[in-house]
Amino acid sequence: MEEKRITERESLEIITSMIARTKERYVGDGNILLMWGYVTVAVAVLVWIMLVVTRNPAWNWLWFLNGIIGGIATPIMARKQDVSFGVKSYSDKVTSHIWSTVGITAIVATLCCLAFQLVLHICCWRTMLVFALVIVPFAEVAQGIVVKETSLIAGGAVGLCAGIITICSIVGGVPLNVNWFMPMFIIAFICMMIVPGHIINRKNKAQR
Amino acid sequence: MKELNPLLHSQLRLAVMSILMNVEEADFVYLKEKTESTAGNLSVQIDKLTTAGYITAEKGFVGKKTRTVCRITEQGRTAFEEYVEALKDYLNLQ
Repeated sequence: MEEKRITERESLEIITSMIARTKERYVGDGNILLMWGYVTVAVAVLVWIMLVVTRNPAWNWLWFLNGIIGGIATPIMARKQDVSFGVKSYSDKVTSHIWSTVGITAIVATLCCLAFQLVLHICCWRTMLVFALVIVPFAEVAQGIVVKETSLIAGGAVGLCAGIITICSIVGGVPLNVNWFMPMFIIAFICMMIVPGHIINRKNKAQR
Repeated sequence: MKELNPLLHSQLRLAVMSILMNVEEADFVYLKEKTESTAGNLSVQIDKLTTAGYITAEKGFVGKKTRTVCRITEQGRTAFEEYVEALKDYLNLQ
């Protein structure tokens, strides 16, 4: 494209053409989802094995690995993604804010649980399980609706089902036994993060 | 009949403004690719739009490379909307 005088009709054509060229819809790459999915599943498997083998609940502190690894890797990967796509749409901005809210909520929830534990000597870490299986899938469904990506909506819905089962169990006094809860948690995260992450990456590869 | 804004009534500047009206932000490489322009020409036109206050161009670094991210301003948005209105008059589209 050069710098030259144009007619009114050409102006209209330029505007139409540029709108069409920016219409390509990128959901973002699925790498951040995959990172969270694989890290969460790996940590969950590790905690599960240690709890079964040692029967020592102290191994639950390993869950913090999830937040530490994900919290460090996410901003680095998000920056790389911005550079790679070169453009940020309104839906990118909305989803970015949704996940920032989830991140801040996670930090506040963790600090609250820690304060209950250290100050009041009350263990309320099950709150974090509800967080992981209600707030996270809800955000994922919201992202799926915004970017019109079915795999995110379906994955989030599976996570929400697991979240509802978790809440019912806590309220109904059913113990969250590792033998049924951990497999459910792992399956939920595979459906929520790993499967949609691979689907999105495959779609982007085909689109580019 | 309202006169067409001369700053926008130019092939490359109009293309850049049309893209930025449609997205939150776009970097120099993306704009160059979508407008199929040369780096030198695009750089000059971005400077003109920035000076007019229609867009902002934020220079940053990614590793050792520079990265310029452009965003449309409220003033630019208004100017573009007025330009489209004037264009409709010229083409008898209203």
